[in-house]
Parts: sequence; structure tokens; C-alpha cells
Amino acid sequence: MNDMRLEERIVQNDKIKIDAQDVQVFYGDNHAIKDVSVAIEDKTVTAFIGPSGCGKSTFLRCLNRMNDTVAGCRVEGRITLDGEDIYDKRVDPVQLRARVGMVFQKPNPFPKSIYDNVAYGPKIHGLVRGKAEMDEVVESALKRAALWKEVKDRLQAPGTGLSGGQQQRLCIARAIATAPEVLLMDEPASALDPIATAQIEELIDELRTRFAVVIVTHSMQQAARVSQKTAFFHLGNLVEYGETGQIFTTPRDPRTESYITGRIG
Amino acid sequence: MPAPWIFLIVLALAAAGYLAGRLRALAVVGGDIRRLHSLPGYYGWQAAMLAALPALLVMGLWLLIQPVVVESRVEGMIPEAAQGASLSLVMTDVRRVAEGLDLAVSTGVMSAAEATGLSADGTIRATLGKLGVALGSGVTPEVLAAAKALRTAEATGRGAMAAVVLVLALAGVAYALWRIRAEYRARNVVEAGVRGLLLLASTIAILTTAGIVLSMLFETRHFFAQYPWWKFFFGATWSPNFRGGSDLGILPLLWGTLYISFIALVVSVPIGLFAAVYMSEYAGRKFRMVAKPAIEILAGIPTIVYGLFALITVGPLLRDYFAQPLGLGASGSSVMTAGLVMGVMLIPFVSSLSDDIINAVPQSLRDGSLGLGATRSETIRQVVLPAALPGIVGAVLLAASRAIGETMIVVLGAGAAAKLDLNPFEAMTTVTVKIVSQLTGDTDFAAPETLVAFALGLTLFVLTLGLNVLALWIVRRYREQYE
Repeated sequence: MNDMRLEERIVQNDKIKIDAQDVQVFYGDNHAIKDVSVAIEDKTVTAFIGPSGCGKSTFLRCLNRMNDTVAGCRVEGRITLDGEDIYDKRVDPVQLRARVGMVFQKPNPFPKSIYDNVAYGPKIHGLVRGKAEMDEVVESALKRAALWKEVKDRLQAPGTGLSGGQQQRLCIARAIATAPEVLLMDEPASALDPIATAQIEELIDELRTRFAVVIVTHSMQQAARVSQKTAFFHLGNLVEYGETGQIFTTPRDPRTESYITGRIG
Repeated sequence: MPAPWIFLIVLALAAAGYLAGRLRALAVVGGDIRRLHSLPGYYGWQAAMLAALPALLVMGLWLLIQPVVVESRVEGMIPEAAQGASLSLVMTDVRRVAEGLDLAVSTGVMSAAEATGLSADGTIRATLGKLGVALGSGVTPEVLAAAKALRTAEATGRGAMAAVVLVLALAGVAYALWRIRAEYRARNVVEAGVRGLLLLASTIAILTTAGIVLSMLFETRHFFAQYPWWKFFFGATWSPNFRGGSDLGILPLLWGTLYISFIALVVSVPIGLFAAVYMSEYAGRKFRMVAKPAIEILAGIPTIVYGLFALITVGPLLRDYFAQPLGLGASGSSVMTAGLVMGVMLIPFVSSLSDDIINAVPQSLRDGSLGLGATRSETIRQVVLPAALPGIVGAVLLAASRAIGETMIVVLGAGAAAKLDLNPFEAMTTVTVKIVSQLTGDTDFAAPETLVAFALGLTLFVLTLGLNVLALWIVRRYREQYE
């Protein structure tokens, strides 16, 4: 991994965007997440890595309260977004999800046109006035998702007709168009081929200039390539959290080292 | 030999063929089944199949064709003079005499020789009368001769059939056993046989539909030979009169059908759809477990019971609290009554179909929408329902074709008066009800008043078929969008 020059990555911004303290998640009787505390910085890509079933996706879904939609799921602890507790009774989870967007593992474009897919968020949140402004929002979201050139001539074609990689970028554009502050990505490239994966990774690096990005990934190379901070999860515990360069070169915990060198997971 | 016996013998031969085939396959390789191409059972099955299938197929065809051939031969025997009334009436008599003689022989009143040597005197009627076979008039010599000929022809035919079928079955077993070698691919033969059997099952359904359409077409042609088609399709009056001079316009019936179906759909589609949305998107597991079967009980109620409900409860209720106070009529049976009750009947139909369709929408779409900060109802309205729309439209059209074909609720709820009217509290009637009323009672199957039922039936068939085809087309056309 020498060519990645991990040591040179310096995290300039240290403003905390999301702060999780002693988070516990239960699915019925199953204690899925144990005592996880993470501070996610703004304008940074944070990667969650770990073997399958270690709870990294579950924890990600706590950050925008998507776990609320799962029956029998209970979250304890304190998670704040800009200092405000997101599990507070006064917080509307629907409004929260507009601020903390999410991109899923499998591309899930709506059965609508490409344009309507991107316009969906702005429309339901009333972010724009008039058609012209909407066109602008759609165009800029598609441009930032590096999809504009490929679809600008067929915005009315169904989003489901795109290739897998294009669909995933459409889903990213859809999430960006809602103007979130944080973007959560749950293994966004796991269903894609290497070229599409490279495009998505490049995109993630660009998105960092505007949002905090949290990405769950199975691929350690991907975490090393795109993230500045890395958190290693194992069996529902947060084992180690630190700068990506440090995690991959001088892990402090023996379990992290075992995982990174391929002995567990 | 009666057909059921032949059938059983063929089955027994097939069973014997199975055992023999198995044993022979084992014998060929000296008990070492590893040297056989297929498992021993497959050799047995191919023997059983070769014994039963050709024999039963021939038997089925024979049973279908023999009566036609025999009757046409006997009809030729009846002289022109005896055809005074009509050929079909005479033939009915012939058939009845022949059946009577069969019965007389089988109960031992007559010997077989007596039955064939019988002459046409007045005693036949009395003899057969004692056996419970009522003959309309005296038996003429021609009828008796024809009846005798019918009996002989049928007996010969049955004998020939038994012989042919049994020989075929035996030959099948023999051929199958002769073919067995170690390298013989019995497994593949059985596979082909199974495929043929499945194909047969699926063609039977298609052939039946074709048969129904053809029989309707024939009768409809007879009707249009006697009644002009433009008066049928564009006539605004329905007043059949068996003494002749009827007006048989379909428009009042079609109007009644569509009006009642429309009201039924206005009731059932929103309620059914909302119920389905609640069931699949909001309801907890416990509520679902109780409510879903409860809704489906509605679908199990026979329509005649709905009809009673319309007749004794809904009809008088609507008349006393809506129609009379509003001055819209004093009829207990009305379009509204039938439409409302039919709508209730269709609710489970719409809701359970839509429920399945909504559940088939991938969860990832809901997550995507919720993840963008949409509420549940926004998600349902803008993502789930559009994705499920083709299926829902299909469900609605299927419900519509049921509404159009419904009879009992209309008879009891909306009455039998054919009327072209906009007032929903007026009694009206539908195509199906009129089909029933034209065909019940003593009817003359040559009169246009009776034959019109087939034209009505065919119109209805075309209408519902069109709706079904449209439903299937919509479902197929838009299905790939989220798969």
C-alpha cells in the first residue's frame, strides 16, 4: 500500500458533525451493537470496516434513524448531529433523514424517469420554486454525481433502464439533490464492477468537499483509497477508530491487525 | 363390456406392465442395476405408460365419436313421412325406446332375443311404462326399427371398442417389454411421457375455452339468421315476446350491466385498495393475522347470500331513507342496491390481489424513499403505488370482469326490468339476468327469443375477455419497470 501514500493524508478539518456516545442497539433480544462511541468529522470520509455481521451497517442506520422502520429494533445511548440529540422526542425522524441522506448497497432507483428520480427529494421537501430552478437542481446534482454527460439527452427515460453503475450514481445524485449535510453510504460499490467502483470512489472523494461522508465497506482497499478516518468493527464492538493511515499501517489493536492482514473476517 | 370396466382393465394391465417391466429390466442385467441406463422403476413406468396412454386415448376418442356416427346412421333410417314434427323430436323418441329396451333386457322383463324380435304393436308402450320409461305417443314401426338399429349399432360399437382398446393395451405392454435392454434409455422416455401429460393438461383448458366460444358462435349465428344484428346491437328496447314481434335490443341490458358494475367498482376499488395499503404498509403482524383472514371470509360468501342481503336489508334501507325522501322512486330493488352489495363482494377481491402486489414491491424502494426523508404516506403515494400500479390496474380490471358477469346479486338486488335510465334508485337489469330468464322454463330452442341468450352470452364473453386481455397486457407491459 505504499503507493497510496497514506501517511500524507492530513485531516484538516476537525469540526465534529456527528457524535455518538455509548450506543447500544438491540434487535429483540440480540445485542447487535455494544458501547460504540464515534465522533464523525465534517468534510471527511469516514469508513466503517469489519467482517460480515459485525454491526457496521446497523450502526450506520442508527445515524439517520432508518432503524426506526425495523420492527423490534431498539437504540440506546446518545447520538448528536451538530450537538442536537437525534433520538430526542422533539426530533422528527423524517426531517432528520433529509439532513442525513443515505445511499444503499443495491442501486434502488424509483420506477420513474431519471429526472423525477433526482427531483424526488427537492419536491417532497419543497426546496425549489418553479420548473427552472428544479431543472438547475437536477442538473447540478447529476453533474456532481458524474452522471450528467451520460444521461443529459434522456432525462425522461426510466431510471431503471440504466446500467448498475449508472443507477448507483443516480441514487447518489438523488441523495445529493436533497442537500443533505451528511451522506451515509452502505457498501455503495459492492454490487458494481471495478470500473463503476472506481467512478464511485472518485465521486466520494469529491463529495467530501461539501458533506461529511460515512461509508460502510467490505473492501479494505476501498477504505484505504477513499477515507481519511477508519473505524474497525468486530462482533458489535468498535475495536479501533483513527486516521486511515494509522489504522492500516500501525494498528494498535491486535484484532485490527489480524483483520487487515487477512487472518480474521 | 361397459366403459368403466375397460378402463379398470387397462389400468390393471398398466400396473402389471410396471411390475413386468421392472422385473425384466432386472433380469436383463442379472440383478446388477449399475449396468442399467436408468433405475429399474423407469423401465416399469415406460411399460405402464405404453400400456395405458394409447389405449385410453383411443377409448376417449371412440366414446366421443361413436354416438355421432351411430345417430347419423339411424337418422337416415327415418322416412320423410315420419319427420312430420321434427327430426330431433323423433330421434328423442327413438333414443328413449332404445333405452327402454336396454332396461327391459337388463332387468329380465324381456330376453335379448325378445327385444330384437319385437314388433310394433300396442304392447311396447305398456311394457316400457311398467319399467318407468314414459313414451309420449304410440310407437310407430319406423321408430321401433330405428331404435333396434340404434341398439345393434351401439352394441357393435362397444364390442369393437373393447377389443381395440384391450389389444392396444396388451400390444403396448408387449412392445415395451420387448424393447428393454441394459442400454435402453427408459428414463428419457418417461421424461418425454411426463412432458406429454403436462402438455395435455394445459391444452384441455384451452380447448374447452375454444369449445365454449364455438358453441356460442353457432347458436349466435342461428339467432342472427332470424333477427337483424343492427336491431340487436343498437335497439334501445328489450321486450321479448314468445308470440313473435319481440324487440331484442341489447342496449338497456348493457347499460344496466355497466351502470351496476361502475357503482360496484366505485365502492370496492377505493375501499379495497386502502385496506390493502393499510394491511401491507401499516398494520402490525398481530392485526394482519386477524384481519386478513377476516377480509377473505367475505370472498367465501356465496353470491346468492349477498343477494339475500341486498333483497331484505340494503334494498328496503335505501328505499326508505334515500329514494323516497329524495323523491327518486319507491322501488325496493335498484341499481344502487345491487351496485353497493356487489361492491362489498368485490372488496376482498381487490384488497387481497393488491395486497400481494404491494408486498411484491421491493423493500429497497421504500428504504430509498424513507432515506431521502419522505414520510410513509409520501413513500406509498409516490413510490410504492406507482411501482405497483400495473398490478393494481390488473386487479381492478379482473374485479370489473367479475362484476360484469355477476347474476345473483342483480336478480335479487336490482330486479328484472330492462330500462335505460340514469336514476340509480330505479330497478334495472343486466345481461346475465336476461340470459337466465330467456333460457328458463319451457322454451323453444328455435325461436329468436331463446337464441338471443347466446348472442347476449357471446357479447358478455367478448366484453370480459377484452377486459382480461387488457389487464394482462397492462400487467406485462409495465412489469419490468422495477424488477
